[in-house]
Amino acid sequence: MKKALVIWFLVVAVFLFAAKYGGTLRFLFGVDATTLLGPNIPDSISNIVASHILEGLIDVDENLKIIPCLAERWEVKENGTAYVFYLRKGVKFHDGEDFNAYAVKTHFDYVLNSSLRNVGMFKGILKEVLVLDQYTVEFRLFQPYTPILYRLATSSAAWILSPKSIEKYGNDPALFGRNPVGTGPFIFKEWKVGERIELVRNPNYWQNGLPYLDGIVFSVVSEDVSRVNQVRAGDADIMYNPPPALLPALEQDPRLQLKTIPTVRVIYIGLNSRQAPLNDLRVRQALNYAVDKEKLCKVIMRDMARPSDSPLSSITYGYVPTGGYPYDPQKARQLLKEAGYSNLKLELITPKGRYLNDYETAIALQGMLKEVGVTVDVKPMEWGTYVGKILSSKPEDWDYQMFLLGWAPGTAEGHWVLFPLFHSINQMGNPQGTARYNNFFYSNPKVDELIDKIGSELDEKKLMEYYAQAQKIILNDAPWIFLYEMKIATVMRKEIKDLKIYPIERFNMTYAWIDR
Amino acid sequence: MIPVILGVSIISFSIMHMIPGDPARIIAGEGATKQDIEAIRSKYGLDRPLIEQYFRFMKGILTNDLRSIKTERPILKEISPRFLNTVQLAVVSIFISSIIGISLGIASAVRRNTWLDSFAMFFSLIGVSMPIFWLGILLIIIFSVFLGWLPSGGKGGVEHIILPAVTLGLATSAIIARMTRASMLEVLNQDYVRTAKAFGLAKRKVVYKYVLRNALIPIITVIGLQFGYLLGGAVLTESVFGWPGLGRYVVDSIFNRDYIAVQVGIMIIAMSFVLVNLLVDIFYALIDPRLRRG
Repeated sequence: MKKALVIWFLVVAVFLFAAKYGGTLRFLFGVDATTLLGPNIPDSISNIVASHILEGLIDVDENLKIIPCLAERWEVKENGTAYVFYLRKGVKFHDGEDFNAYAVKTHFDYVLNSSLRNVGMFKGILKEVLVLDQYTVEFRLFQPYTPILYRLATSSAAWILSPKSIEKYGNDPALFGRNPVGTGPFIFKEWKVGERIELVRNPNYWQNGLPYLDGIVFSVVSEDVSRVNQVRAGDADIMYNPPPALLPALEQDPRLQLKTIPTVRVIYIGLNSRQAPLNDLRVRQALNYAVDKEKLCKVIMRDMARPSDSPLSSITYGYVPTGGYPYDPQKARQLLKEAGYSNLKLELITPKGRYLNDYETAIALQGMLKEVGVTVDVKPMEWGTYVGKILSSKPEDWDYQMFLLGWAPGTAEGHWVLFPLFHSINQMGNPQGTARYNNFFYSNPKVDELIDKIGSELDEKKLMEYYAQAQKIILNDAPWIFLYEMKIATVMRKEIKDLKIYPIERFNMTYAWIDR
Repeated sequence: MIPVILGVSIISFSIMHMIPGDPARIIAGEGATKQDIEAIRSKYGLDRPLIEQYFRFMKGILTNDLRSIKTERPILKEISPRFLNTVQLAVVSIFISSIIGISLGIASAVRRNTWLDSFAMFFSLIGVSMPIFWLGILLIIIFSVFLGWLPSGGKGGVEHIILPAVTLGLATSAIIARMTRASMLEVLNQDYVRTAKAFGLAKRKVVYKYVLRNALIPIITVIGLQFGYLLGGAVLTESVFGWPGLGRYVVDSIFNRDYIAVQVGIMIIAMSFVLVNLLVDIFYALIDPRLRRG
């Protein structure tokens, strides 16, 4: 009798709390996706859609830890020049093809021999993929490169495409972008240009019982207030980056849930050290002491950011706290005096509307720097023009002084921050640079050396030591005004459960369900 | 028509290429390596001299061999569904605005200086002055969020077009109402109207048969012009309602420096404007027999 009661209770409990099947999730974007061909995806929106259709050998979870996906486990061999992956068995592509070692090889051969948009993640690093047996592959590198695991886990170029689809569409990336075939939890159904993309449930997904949803519809509504209104009206289920002014009202709305999580994106003011006065370390440090970051995050960003003390966001792999620059206007004034500058005038260029409250931040900085006797002229620029200026390869464009910019390593690890931005090889205009984003002309041989070591060190303890040293030195050299790490806000209907939001602007709907 | 199109192509090409910014850089996105960016640049001939790029573009237009820089798809595949959406919205809203505008205009002209006239003119003042995105958001909040009668945006059944078409239509109807009123008043003061009234013709007949018909030419001109503008895409309305039309696409393409998309988009807008003008001329001839002989 007692036993029966317990069982009965369990059944009821399972029934009440278990995820429910069915329903279509309606997701809103501000612009249309570009392409769903993994190696050709240039934007986060296409990435969000495609990540539900395609999968890689490994993946990251919500905390950016590397987890198995199509590979069950892996080993590092030959001093880090070889990675062996043991593949999951019995997985099928959406077109019925078998997933196995040959499929992995076919995919990477296609990627390495193409000129698609983000193959740079692997070209020059990955030499070849060898088939060891039907379910084992070996990745051979030109030289040890430890961030390769993060790249394989996060880059859309590493999402394995069906070999049959490569044969069929491989020569026409545009057509391939509309016919993605992978192993993921959802199958591509339809794309109405500028309007919507529909995915349907993959009934043969290798993770038994998943996904719960019948499908996902991604629609385009360019106005952010309208996106919020659609979710409020129940015409859509989820949108992200609502206008911050609406946040208090959205928090109050009983039909909605508002989730805010930190991201890997840091926002900073680059200080071009090519010319005086910003070539003077004391001036650059003074600017850092003059900024009240707490106030910026509270007042200007309305808590959608937190102060940063490193080029890496605190959730990026490799981050080590440095202490940062405390707010100390007295010290700022003193440093400026030592450097021999009074009534310093500087120009700050900034995009407007590219990042949350970017221009507002620049204006607030203008006020803060005024306090220590620095006059700042703020010039907002349209994004395309702005990028043309600060990432120009022509020396005559390198006359800017301060610029506001954000950097978010999609790979979730610190090497893809330190190498492109702080390695002297990647200074603008350097023909040897492979990822030239060092547009504030930072150069420190010690840091170069540390970055090179970070790229090849296999021992995690040593690796973190190098990371710590590099971040400390960079902080002290003050090539930036360190500002803040961005958060991301998501507005969802209350009934949406278990939708995972990643700090790299990814949303995972594999486990999501609708409680109706 | 051909000189117009040629002129438009030269102007839009030069303006687009005069704006600073590099499509390869913008489209490749943050975190692209040098290889990635250079590949895009050479693929679209962005590293070639400008004159060569222009002739490549014109050749592409003639052979229908142009692709969007952003999505790499044939450009007409990108533009035509959006243009059809724009046409849909333009037709419905010009229909709504003509009905509202012409009836308000007639009513206020015939009953000049009554409360009806004041109301109609007050309405049209509001219609002209109200910012369109504000009106759109207001309508969404009232009819979708609170009342839940109509969808708040996107494309779908007939119910989806109502709010955007009304939003656009209200502003346009205000302009049409003012034009109708002015034009009607002018004709109402003509001698032949007085004569018709003196003959004892029914007032209804005088207004519709004699006055309206004669007042119609400037009204049609305004409607034609407005329709031409609407075919260029109503950027704000499209943004607010998530209507996948041409206007928003061209604006987004400008920000992306998708040269091909912008230039082809502008040429299509120009062509539809020319076509609407032609249509208006045909209408003139239908309404006014004198123009047929001339």
